[in-house]
Formats: sequence, C-alpha cells, structure tokens
Amino acid sequence: MTVAGEMRQYQVVGRKAATDENPNPEAYRMIIFAPNPTTAKSKFWYFMRQFRKMKKTTGEILDCVELTEKNSRTVKNYGIWLRYDSRSGTHNMYREYRDLKLTGAISQLYDEMAGRHRTRPRSIQIIRTATVAPKDLKRPNGMQFAQAKVKFPLPHRVDSAKRGQKALSDRTFSTVRPTTMFN
Amino acid sequence: MGFSRYVEVGRIVLISYGPNAGSLATVIDIVDQNKCLIDGPEEITGVSRQVIPYRRIALTDLTVKIQRNARAKQLKSAWKEGDVQAKWEGSSWAKKLEAKKKRSGLSDFDRFKVMVAKQQKSRIIAKKMKELKA
Amino acid sequence: MVGVRVLGITGPKKAAKAAPATGKSARYYPADDIPRPKHSRAKKHNAPKVRASITPGTVCILLSGRFRGKRVVCLKSLESGLLLVSGPYKVNGVPLRRVNQRYVIATSTKLDVSKVDVSKINDAYFARVESANKEGEEEFFANDAPKPAIVSDQRKADQKTVDAALMKVVESTPLLKNYLGSNFSLKKHDRPHKMVF
Repeated sequence: MTVAGEMRQYQVVGRKAATDENPNPEAYRMIIFAPNPTTAKSKFWYFMRQFRKMKKTTGEILDCVELTEKNSRTVKNYGIWLRYDSRSGTHNMYREYRDLKLTGAISQLYDEMAGRHRTRPRSIQIIRTATVAPKDLKRPNGMQFAQAKVKFPLPHRVDSAKRGQKALSDRTFSTVRPTTMFN
Repeated sequence: MGFSRYVEVGRIVLISYGPNAGSLATVIDIVDQNKCLIDGPEEITGVSRQVIPYRRIALTDLTVKIQRNARAKQLKSAWKEGDVQAKWEGSSWAKKLEAKKKRSGLSDFDRFKVMVAKQQKSRIIAKKMKELKA
Repeated sequence: MVGVRVLGITGPKKAAKAAPATGKSARYYPADDIPRPKHSRAKKHNAPKVRASITPGTVCILLSGRFRGKRVVCLKSLESGLLLVSGPYKVNGVPLRRVNQRYVIATSTKLDVSKVDVSKINDAYFARVESANKEGEEEFFANDAPKPAIVSDQRKADQKTVDAALMKVVESTPLLKNYLGSNFSLKKHDRPHKMVF
C-alpha cells in the first residue's frame, strides 16, 4: 500500500465549459494514476493548468473512467519514466518493476520513492509507462528475475505463519526466537 | 551442505499463511526477490492464480515440469503426470500435518482413548525390554 | 345495600366480607389509610435456558465443587435450570446431584439415556430436610468428631435404580467406564481454549 493507497489508472476527459462564442471547445484526454476518481480529476486540472489556459472553475469534466489491465495473469516488466521534486530540486528518473498490473507497478514505484527518497505522492509525476521486453531491460535487478531460468534458495526469512503466533506478533518483546533457517 | 529446495518455475510450495493456508500450490513465475506467481492448480488444490510473498510459503521437495506462465490445463496435466498429490501425501511432512490436524480435532473421550492406547504400548515395550535385559 | 364497597376507606377485603353477611355496611372502619402493596415491576425470572451442547446423555466435566474434575453423565435439566447428573456413583462416586450448567464443560460424547427413568426426580426431591437431632450450642462447642452425613434410604435406593439402568448403557461402549472413572485435568502443554471437547 502506498501512502496514497493502491493506485488505479483513470482516463479523464475534460474541456473548457461551452460558451456562446465557443459552443464546442476542444476536449482533452489524459491517463492519470490516482487512488480514486476524485484525486484523478483533481490531478487532471493540475496538469491541464500547466499545458493550456484552462482551470477547474471555467471548465468541465466530460468523462472519468477507470482503466483495467487486460491481462493480469502474467508477470510483465514495466518501465516507468517519472519526474519528482526532491528537497533540493526536480529530477527525471526511469525505473523498472515486475508486476501483474501496471497499477501494481505504479504502486510499487510510489512505495519505493517514499522509501528511498522520502518523496511524497504529490511530488511525483508519471511521464510515461511501457511494458518492456526482457532483452530491453536496463536495470539489473529486474533483469535477473526476467531471465528464462531463474532459480534461487530461500535461506533466511521469517515465516508469516510463525509471525502470526501470539508470542511473535502482538507484543513489543518476544519470548521466542523466530525460525529463520530453511532448506 | 548445499540447498535442495529452490524457488523456481514448477516448484511445489505449501502455503503457510492466509486464506489458503495448508494447501499446496505451484510456482508459475517469479516476480521479484519478494514474491512469486502461484497457481494451485485450482481444480486440485483450490488455490487460484495469485502473487504471494515468499514469507507465506514453504518450499517442498517436489517439482513439476512446466513452462513459465503455464496455463491451468498444462499445470493440471503436469500434476497428474508427476503424481504430485500422491507423492505429497506419502511424505512424512504431510503425514505430520495430517496427524496434527487429527489430534487437534479429538474429543475429550478420544483423548482418553489415545492415553490408554499409549499406556498399553509402553507397557508392551517395557515388558519386552525387561525380557531383553534379563 | 348488598356488597357495597367504599373504596379507599375500608379495606376492600374486609368490607366485602362483612357486607354480604349482614346486609349492612361494614362496622369496621380503619382510622388510617391502609397502604396497599405497590405493584411490583420485578420480573419473575424463568429458568435459564440449557445450552444446546448439553442434552440428556451428554458427558459433562464438572468444574467446581467437591466433585470438580469428574466426568459425569447429564440425565436431564430440572425446572430450576439446574442439570441432574449422576457419576454413576459406582464409577466415580458422584451421586445423583444437581449442578449449574455454568460450571460444567459439555463434551461431544453422548450416551443413550432414554432407558434411564428419572421422571420422579425433581427440584423438590433435593429439598433440605430439617435434621431431627440438631446440634445445640453445647454440642457445637463440644470438641467431638463431626457426625457423618446420613444419606436417606430413599436416596440410596433411587441411586441404585438409576445407576443400574445407566451402567447398562455405560458398559455397552468399550473404555467408557474407565473414561468416566478418570478425572479431567490440564497437562503442561494443554491449551483449553484450543481443545475440542
């Protein structure tokens, strides 16, 4: 879960409100990642303001629908181009994630940006997204899991079932050590 | 000692946590260092296709020969071919789980019967031991 | 003037009693108002519902009292909501006895007690009888050995007949007699909240 919640993908269409001089103003369509339609519409106006002389008070939203992934049964590599404001400036970035859904990859991105760079959701702008073929991957971490034959042991971890034990889960101090060795 | 169980496509895993806890599933694809894609097959184990973190699964010794992203049909036939269900039920791990489940479902009278049976068993053993020592 | 009742002045019962006999109004005239008892709103409590896991024939584990830990057979529930249980007495020493269902663990083991006739045993059966030779003050302070409780012959006989029928059922299942004879206790790794009874 990201700070902003699980991200969804919306298609928002809006235009300037029709007037007598211009009864049929040009409509604009935007693909936006947001946790809910309200935020999606708000983000639409935020970006629109920057591109055209348009704002919410003199405009209207024609359509706002959620887009769902067609194939959410296979793992894909997603490349994401983004721009974010750090404490000292604005940076462009390219990141790769493996997930079933683009929205899942975007959620991972928001999580990771918060973790690595302390970036809040409001200061991240997604520029472009793409599914990337394994041979075109640029980042080594994604590459190693996108290979044809992946094989690795799990030598050290805390099992969730053990975590569910009362002694391990719901108190600050524990009387038992978790089993972390597996073969 | 080398490792014998790996996260790999076709590895049979036991789900240890969550709604499907206690059922088997097959690794179909590896997402990243934390999670993988599994599928039951649903018709056999009741686990639908889903992404699951490694924390919630335990690797077993069993594998099936499947392709990455195998369809449910292929997976099912691979299970049948590999005789996975029977192999699993024959393993001491599965037997232990079964016994544990059985034990926890025993009624008070059943527990008493178990106690009596245990006494009888140890009586026989003690008698035999005495004979052997003499 | 037959049966005139001057309400609020005379006690109605007294007036009614006096009037018809003589045909005159009542002689008795109370000087003060007689306070009538207020209508009580206190509800009469019905007998508690016996929980579904306890039916006639259920083997129960007693949790309190001097027979705690004993496994007994529930024979029926009485009017007062208490359970009528029996050890049987021959097996574990628990006589025909009333117990509160709160202080009992019901197990899933059930016996067929349809042949055991306990129809004449009710709450009145267990009523206290005034002891004929009650201890006076002197005897109380006299430092003699306490007298053993005397069980009436009636009770002894009833116990015998009930147990005779019950024992037939108990002995038809292997190990059940030993089970009823054993005490329930928690061992080191027992988790009662996770146990099935």
